[in-house]
Amino acid sequence: MTRGKLAVSMVLGGFFLQALSYFFLAAPLGIPTGVEYSNPRLPFAPAIFIAGVMLVFIAAIVYELLPDRDGGE
Amino acid sequence: MQAKLERLPFGVGQLTPKYLTFVMGMLVLLAIGLLSYGRQLSEGHIITGLRDIGSMGGATWGLYIVFLIYFVGVSFAGITIAAMIRLLDVHYLKPISRIAELITVTALILAGLCILPDLGQPLRGITNLFRYARPQSPFFGTFTLVVSGYFFASLVYLYLASRPDAATCAQVPSRLQGLHRLWAAGYRGTPAEQHRRKVASFWLAIAILPLLVTAHSTLGFVFGLQVGRPGWHSALQAPGFVVMAGVSGVGLVILVAALFRRLYGAETRLDDRIFRWLGNLLMVLVLAYLYFMVVEWLTGAYEGHQHELKLTKALLGGDFASTYWLAVICLVVPLAILFGQWVRNQFSLTQLVVAGALVNVAAIAKRYLLVVPSQTHGTLLPYGTGSYSPTSVEYAVVLGVIALGCLIFAIFVKVFPVIDLTDGAE
Amino acid sequence: MPRYGMVIDLDRCTGCRACMAACKVENNTPEGSFWMYVFRFEEGEYPNTRIWFMPRPCMHCDNAPCAKVCPVGARYKREDGIVATDWDRCIGCRYCEVACPYSVNYFNWRDPEENQYVNWKDPELEALSGGVIPPYKNPDLDRPCGPEKRHIAGASHVEGVIEKCTFCVHRVEAGKTTACAANCPEHAIIFGDLDDPASEPSQKLQRKSSFRLLEEAGTHPRVQYVGGTPHGHGWRQIQPAGKRS
Repeated sequence: MTRGKLAVSMVLGGFFLQALSYFFLAAPLGIPTGVEYSNPRLPFAPAIFIAGVMLVFIAAIVYELLPDRDGGE
Repeated sequence: MQAKLERLPFGVGQLTPKYLTFVMGMLVLLAIGLLSYGRQLSEGHIITGLRDIGSMGGATWGLYIVFLIYFVGVSFAGITIAAMIRLLDVHYLKPISRIAELITVTALILAGLCILPDLGQPLRGITNLFRYARPQSPFFGTFTLVVSGYFFASLVYLYLASRPDAATCAQVPSRLQGLHRLWAAGYRGTPAEQHRRKVASFWLAIAILPLLVTAHSTLGFVFGLQVGRPGWHSALQAPGFVVMAGVSGVGLVILVAALFRRLYGAETRLDDRIFRWLGNLLMVLVLAYLYFMVVEWLTGAYEGHQHELKLTKALLGGDFASTYWLAVICLVVPLAILFGQWVRNQFSLTQLVVAGALVNVAAIAKRYLLVVPSQTHGTLLPYGTGSYSPTSVEYAVVLGVIALGCLIFAIFVKVFPVIDLTDGAE
Repeated sequence: MPRYGMVIDLDRCTGCRACMAACKVENNTPEGSFWMYVFRFEEGEYPNTRIWFMPRPCMHCDNAPCAKVCPVGARYKREDGIVATDWDRCIGCRYCEVACPYSVNYFNWRDPEENQYVNWKDPELEALSGGVIPPYKNPDLDRPCGPEKRHIAGASHVEGVIEKCTFCVHRVEAGKTTACAANCPEHAIIFGDLDDPASEPSQKLQRKSSFRLLEEAGTHPRVQYVGGTPHGHGWRQIQPAGKRS
C-alpha cells in the first residue's frame, strides 16, 4: 500500500503548501493600510501556491504510473 | 483490453486534402491574429477600441476580457461531463469524454492567451504574477486556480483517461507507434492496473469538482465584488458564472461531438443516447440561467437605485437592447427546442446542434453585456455616457485565438483517437 | 507620521481649471488623461439654472478598492495616506480602473513620446529640441519615493501602465504642497496633514460641514468637500474635457 500512501501524502502536502502560501507567505489579507499589503511575505509565494495545486494532481499520475517494486504482477 | 485493431481508428495518422485545407485556413487566421497582436505590441493599445472609463468615455476592458471569460466558461463542460461519468456511473457517455476533456484543455489555453493581449505589459505580467500575486485580488484565483491549477488538472485528467486507448493504438504498426507507446507508459490493462485506474480516476473526479466550482466562482468574483460598478456588484455573479459556464460548455460539446460523429461516421459510437443526455443537461442549465437573468433584471429594475436603473434601461431598451434581446432569444429558443424534445420524447440531432450553437451565441453576448455596459454606462460620478466598439485589431486577435483552438483540435485528432475506444464498462 | 488629505472648498471654486493645467505641467500627463479633473455642472431649466464646479483628484481612499484588487501589489496604500502606483511593477491589467468608483485611473495607451500633446518622435521637433530631455522624462519624478523606495511619482508614463493622481508625492516628500493646491487662484484646494488638528485642512473641516464623494461605497476617501452638496440626480455636465479619438 505504499503507492496509496505516497499519493495521499502528496495530496495532503499539496493542500498544505496551498494553505501555507495563501494565508502566511503571500501578501496579507485585509484592508490595505501600508506597503506590507502589496508585497508577498516570502518572494515567489504565489509560485508555491501553484506548486501546491500541481502537486495534488501529480499525485494521481504517480499513483498510476509508479512502477511496481517487484516488476509487475 | 480491446481486441487488436487493424489500423488506427477515426482517421488518426491520415491526412486528407480537406483536412489540409482546413489547417491552412486556420493557419492563415492565426497568422493574421499574430500580425495584429504584433501591431498592438508596437503601437500600443491605442489601436484597440479600448479607452479609459470616465472623462475619456470608454471601456477599459473589452473583447479580450469578454472572450477570456467565455473560454474559461466553455472549459467547464469538459471536465464536468468527464467527472460525472465517473461519479454518477453514466457509462454510456464514455465515448464522448475525450472530446469533452480536450475542449476543457484547449479552452483553458485559449483563455490564458486572451489575457496576454489585454495586458499592457505582457512580459511583466508573466513574471510579476509569479512573484507578487496577492490572494486578496480576485485575479489571484483566476491566475493560480483557473489558468494554472485547473489547466494542469485537466491535462492530468486527459492524460490518465487516455492511457488505455494509447496502449491499444500502440499495438498498431504506424509512424505514431512510438508516441502511442510513450503515451501509454507501460499500460497493459492488467487487473491491478485497471483497479488502480478506477481508484485514481474516481478520486481525481472528486478532487476536480470543487476546484471547478471555485475556479469559475473566482472569475465571477472578479466582477461580483466590485462596489464601484453598477451591474457587477451582486452575489449572483459567482453562481451565475458557474451556470453560464455550463450552458456554453455543454453547448460546445454538443457541437463538436456532432461534428466528429459526422466526420467519422461514428453513429454507433456516439449514439443518440449520449446526445439526449447532453440535451437534457443543457435544458436544465439554460432554465437555471434564465431564472438568474430574471432575478438580476428584477433587482436592477425594482430597487430604483439611479445607477442600476440607468444600466438596466440601457440593457433592456437602450444602447445595448439589440444585444440583450439577441441573448434572450438565443436562450429561449434552445430551451423551447430542448423542452419540446424532452416532452415529446423525440430526438433530432440537427435541432440539438442548433440549440448548442445558439446558446454559445447567447453566452458571448451575455459576457459582452456583463463586461462593457457597466463601464460605459455605469460611472458613478456624472461623467456622461461612454461608448465602446471593438476595432479590427481586437477582432483579428480573437479570431486568431479561436483559430489556434481549432488547430489544437485538428492536430490532436490526427495523433490520437478523439473518440474513446474502450467501453465504459471495461 | 502625517496622514495627508485634501479639502476642497466648493464655495470658492470658480471652475477655472487652473488645477488641471497645473497638474498637467507638474506631472506631464499624456493627452486626454486628467489626474485632476474639474466637473462643470448645470442644474435646472432656464431661467432657474445654477452652475457649480467640482474638482476631482484621486480620492486616496482609506479602503481603496483599487489597492485591494491589484493582482501584483503595484497599487498600494502608504502609511501617510497616499494611494500610490508603482509603474515599475504594474502589468497593465487595468483592474484598478474598473474597480474605482470615481474613475480616476488613466492608462498609457501608447508610447510616451507619441502620447504627449506634441509628438516627441517627430524629426522636426527633434531637430529643434536638440536632444534635450523632454519634460515627460523629468528626472525629479523618476526617483524612488518613500522608505519603500518604489517608483511612484508621475514620471515615465511607460506604455501599458496605469497612472493616476499621486498627491504629487515627489513634492510632498520634499515638504511642499500639491501642484493643484499651489496653483489654485481661489485657494479652494487645501492639502495637508489631516491627523494634525492644527493643519489648515483640519481647521477648515472644523469650521465648515463637509461631505465625501460616494460615501455609500465604503471607500473612506481622504479627499473631503466643504461648502456645497454632493451632485444629485438632475446635474448635467457642461463642457466636458475632450474625448480621445
